Amino acid sequence: MMIKQFLLVLIVLVGAPIVGGLLFGIDRRITARMQGRYGPPIIQPFYDFFKLLGKEYIAVSRMQFVWIYGYLVFMIAGLIFLLMKSDFLLLVFILGFASVCLVLGGFSTKSPYAHFGANRELMQILAYEPVLLLLAIAIYAQNGSFLISEIYKQDKPLLFSLWPLFLAVLYVLTIKMRKSPFDISTSHHGHQEVVKGVVTEYSGPYFALFHLAEWYEIILLLGIISLFWTNPMWVGILIALAAFLLELFIDNITARMTVGWMVRLSWSVGLILGIINIAYIYYTKGV
Amino acid sequence: MADQMMAIAILLPVAAGFLVLAVRNYYARNLIVVVTAVVLIANSILMSLNGPFTYSPDGFNWGIVITALDYAILIFYLYMGIKLRNWLVLVFALTQIIPLAYFEFVMKAHIEVTPAFVVDHLALVMTMVISIVGSLICIFALRYMYDHEHHLHIEKSRQSRFLFWLVLFLGAMNGLVFANNLVWLYFFWEVTTLCSFQLISHDRTQEAIHNAARAVWMNSTGGTAFILAIIYLYATKGGSAMSMQSIIGGGLQGAVAVLPIALLCYTGFTKAAQMPFQSWLLGAMVAPTPVSALLHSSTMVKAGVYLVLRLAPVYAGTTLSVVIAIAGAFTFFATSALAVSQSTGKRVLAYSTIANLGLIIACAGINTPLSIAAAILLIIFHAISKGLLFLCAGTIEHQIWSRDIEDMEGLAAKAPLTTLITAVGILSMFLPPFGMLLGKWIALEAAYAVPLAAVLFVLASTLTIVFWTKWLGRLLQVLPRIEMPFEKLSPSYAVPLWTLVAGIFIVGMGVGPIYQNFLLAATNDVVSGNQIIAVGLNNLILITPSFLQRDILGLFPVWPLYLILIVALIMPLLLIGLKPKELRPVYMCGEQTGGTDTDEWLAEADRKTKFQLGGYYYQETLGEKKVNPWANAIAILLLVIMLGCGVIVI
Repeated sequence: MMIKQFLLVLIVLVGAPIVGGLLFGIDRRITARMQGRYGPPIIQPFYDFFKLLGKEYIAVSRMQFVWIYGYLVFMIAGLIFLLMKSDFLLLVFILGFASVCLVLGGFSTKSPYAHFGANRELMQILAYEPVLLLLAIAIYAQNGSFLISEIYKQDKPLLFSLWPLFLAVLYVLTIKMRKSPFDISTSHHGHQEVVKGVVTEYSGPYFALFHLAEWYEIILLLGIISLFWTNPMWVGILIALAAFLLELFIDNITARMTVGWMVRLSWSVGLILGIINIAYIYYTKGV
Repeated sequence: MADQMMAIAILLPVAAGFLVLAVRNYYARNLIVVVTAVVLIANSILMSLNGPFTYSPDGFNWGIVITALDYAILIFYLYMGIKLRNWLVLVFALTQIIPLAYFEFVMKAHIEVTPAFVVDHLALVMTMVISIVGSLICIFALRYMYDHEHHLHIEKSRQSRFLFWLVLFLGAMNGLVFANNLVWLYFFWEVTTLCSFQLISHDRTQEAIHNAARAVWMNSTGGTAFILAIIYLYATKGGSAMSMQSIIGGGLQGAVAVLPIALLCYTGFTKAAQMPFQSWLLGAMVAPTPVSALLHSSTMVKAGVYLVLRLAPVYAGTTLSVVIAIAGAFTFFATSALAVSQSTGKRVLAYSTIANLGLIIACAGINTPLSIAAAILLIIFHAISKGLLFLCAGTIEHQIWSRDIEDMEGLAAKAPLTTLITAVGILSMFLPPFGMLLGKWIALEAAYAVPLAAVLFVLASTLTIVFWTKWLGRLLQVLPRIEMPFEKLSPSYAVPLWTLVAGIFIVGMGVGPIYQNFLLAATNDVVSGNQIIAVGLNNLILITPSFLQRDILGLFPVWPLYLILIVALIMPLLLIGLKPKELRPVYMCGEQTGGTDTDEWLAEADRKTKFQLGGYYYQETLGEKKVNPWANAIAILLLVIMLGCGVIVI
């Protein structure tokens, strides 16, 4: 049992960045097609990654790399938590810490652009964190436990009782993937961002680390979405992939909105969806 | 043996206080304070190892002394009210003195409460927090006050007076958590208010005196409610109801219980600076930083949450309990939002304190064994982290002579050691694997019982992330090429700082065993109300039934926390290979003037211009002017509902 789990973790830790990188390659290709371009090869993110790794170790502050490393490590820790089917609430906290590391990385330079990005990333945390925490509470209300393993034991998918929160989590995915209309702290495609936002001052191998962390992050996020349908698991994975494709579509049909708009939207629509959802579970199950 | 230790905990600070007042030599005074601190710390640990006990002083009639001192304190408030022409202080001194006189002389209250002191597991946890964190702050104050007076060019030193009230505070707090006799509890309550008045007004500026007066009148409304509760209890239940143990042990039941308990909870709210009383604690910021550290971490405000927590079994299952949970959760939310808009370091800390006290009170209101355990955990972790953060704020203040977060910009380059310690303190407030997060984690699970509180918890804890990260970000901002040698700190600063840092890690990592050995018993004591069984006349044994059938921490997968800890610990080791080989200037659209250590760029007409960065404070949406009117209105409404619960039931 222990060995099996260990192997699973090992496989996913190696496999996640490969799949994550491919997903981003697909993203670039599909986006290009939607915009009437041909687009790069699907494995372009890996070319970029290895090229960046080969560059010199140049930074603008001594603390900077500590935080980008923290971003990567805590993202991996979060993924391990998901695999071990551990506590969902703790997973949300860890995901929050990872993002805080990215923010602090931006703040630890004296760069106007990195600061813009860091402040905006912080507002992104403010926008999505409550929704994820409400999801944790809703899961607790539904299953009587924060444990992910408990979700897997249920026959009835969470999607049936938690569909309002599923909708809320979909736009959390947009915020976390930094896709339009929420590509606010930094952006993948040259839209209209302030240079490169929070990662402006990362270059070479450090920037490669950021990409690596992003690949883990997308797998982690899609993993969280797959929790909405755990029996059988492949349905959840399909839902997650469909959500991913939906994000690409949304990214290409919307323009970037402002930070204030994002926070207001999340704190109104997202919270109302969450609260209605939790209230409904209480109503049906009793306290 | 146990009674001597208790006498040391209460009387040693008093004696040391008078000694300090008499000794004018700086070094001799320091020695007295350090020795007192060490003895208090050792004493509190020994007491906890010794276990719970009860005690009644005999022979001497302490009741008369305490009554006389009660009047002395209240008459002092009257005098201050007249002298400062502050009618609120005057009125609320009268509202205490008149009912107290009525109670003593008209009702001719005859109170004999045995035991006078009951030291259960909760009291032991509290005395550890008070004695250890409080003593460290006193040690910090030695050097701090020296620097403080030096900076202000004060001719005649008033350090003795300051240390007197500081040390006395610890004795009063210990008495407060041990006292079983309600009248005595009220006395210790008043002493802490008096100490806070003297300490806040220490600098004698207009603002200091004004804010100290506000602290007094707000706490005096609490004191008034306390006396009214005492009178009501005595009138309905007689002298036996003057024992805290009989109240929480089921001596009070049914409708009669609700009004006095609501009044006492109101008293707790004032002292814990819950909304709408937050302004006194914010005003207390004018005092020298050790005062803030003491008020916020181990004393004063913790007395408020202690009282609310102590009474938890009495109001369990009532509407009052739910209202308390929602009021606490609302304070947690509103003050966390307000903290985002603050640009003064100490005000951020103050709002964060009020927020966390709100969380603790909400946990008491949720009133399940799980939430009570969370409340006790939070009391401990908050005292350590917040004590550390205030001492850091004081250290920073004495390095840059400012409290403004904007002035702390790039502190990492000027004072890397202080920044490192501050960063540990800040991270310990909201990140895994530190204790505060563990407390919040348990609180969120417990909040299942009161859904509205759960939603407020969620919003508040997100806002918490924002204001801490924002502040830490300002500290870290540095120019590329700056050498960072660690600065030297005076031992009076360094010892308390490092001890508290060690405390964060030891208590954080050892939470399992600590929980098993102390907190489980404390939670049991609180939830059940202590059951006292008399053996002989003055020899009582405290027996607590095991209320918690299940092991709370066992429900949580503790190992993942350790996993994160390991990750956090191996992080620095892996970093060596990643160190940058070259530092370059930041991107400024190619208009940088060149050098890596400059922050100049070529602005219009190629003029060299320094670029400056500032933090965001979101004044338009979260400023005090915007938030306070509606937040205070809601808080007052909740308070009215809380007291209304008591009246309607009758």
